[in-house]
Amino acid sequence: MARDLAIDLGTANTLVYMKGRGIVLNEPSVIALNRQTGEVLATGREAWQMIGRTPGYIVAVRPLRGGAITDFEITERMIRLLLQRVGVSRFTRPKVVICVPSAITEVERRAVTDAARRAGAADAQLIEQPMAAAIGADLPIDEPVGNMVIDIGGGTSETAVISLGGVVALEAVRVGSFDIDAAIQNYVRREHGIAIGERTAEEIKVAIGSADPIGDENEAEVRGRDLMSGLPKTVLLAPEEIRFAIDDVVSSITASVVRCLAKAPPELAQDFLVRGMYLVGGGGLLRGLAQRIERETRVPVRMSPMPLEAVVLGAGHCIEHYEALKGMFMGARR
Amino acid sequence: MIIAVLLIVFAVLVLILAVVRISARRRPVDGVESFRRHIDALSPAARREVIDRVQNARDTGKGK
Repeated sequence: MARDLAIDLGTANTLVYMKGRGIVLNEPSVIALNRQTGEVLATGREAWQMIGRTPGYIVAVRPLRGGAITDFEITERMIRLLLQRVGVSRFTRPKVVICVPSAITEVERRAVTDAARRAGAADAQLIEQPMAAAIGADLPIDEPVGNMVIDIGGGTSETAVISLGGVVALEAVRVGSFDIDAAIQNYVRREHGIAIGERTAEEIKVAIGSADPIGDENEAEVRGRDLMSGLPKTVLLAPEEIRFAIDDVVSSITASVVRCLAKAPPELAQDFLVRGMYLVGGGGLLRGLAQRIERETRVPVRMSPMPLEAVVLGAGHCIEHYEALKGMFMGARR
Repeated sequence: MIIAVLLIVFAVLVLILAVVRISARRRPVDGVESFRRHIDALSPAARREVIDRVQNARDTGKGK
């Protein structure tokens, strides 16, 4: 008998929680395929290392973009391989809870559940990411108080107000940390005339990226291909340049937080001033982001103790208390 | 013969009693009870086990 699973099927990373065991898999959501035969060559970390470095016959892709499945068949294969890696076979069919962005369409919802069922799940239920994040961030969502969580993922940013185990207000934008990487790529191409890959853009973000000025800032040396000569070239990038490059993306995230605050009932809004808002997700690790949101909303922003694992932890809790919490699944009648 | 008939009647009565008791127990869960179970399952105490399990695994991983 297979143990039931909770999956955070993120645009950037996929995490799997196994009932009674904890997190058993944490890998990039990437799959490498042979372009000619369609054969899977690698998944996860191994496939991620291939991005932008493959010969013509190999393609390393992220089958999810903006939290949505862009290629149903590849996603299904990726889920099947992930489930196999955690011990699911055709004879052991577990119940699966999958975290998805709250703004997904009915078609996307069906695509995810169908992919999981075809990949070997006996039953597949979906849970909204901000709700799972709030459970995983250990917020007191069982109490009649305003809890606010901001989940910044690879392709989506979602802000939710939660009280008494339910979502009170929600705001989502299909913008995330991959858009920050893309903004850096575009800036370097436009202003310095060199082309860099998405992994280099991510490295720049991690090294010197920030949403608000912070102390102790250094320049970074960036290597790419000169667009004029086609030769390798090195340029120096300053932190202010990166802040300028990613400002539109960061503004779009902070604007959605402000919209969510405006939707919250006044009784709950006053709780935020005392309790603050909680940041989760990999995008929340961008330096100065908490400070920037705090400056624009005048509400304290705190970092969740386990920002990268909060979503899968919340879904894991739902799989541990499946019967009591099944009313939280998307499409369930409450 | 009479004993066999009595045994069958007794078995049928036991069966009816069991069915009545099971169906009484299976009455639909009312809203208050269901909501209470839902909220209790979200309490910090209910979540502690899952969070501690992952936190411990994380700390062990860091220590290595």
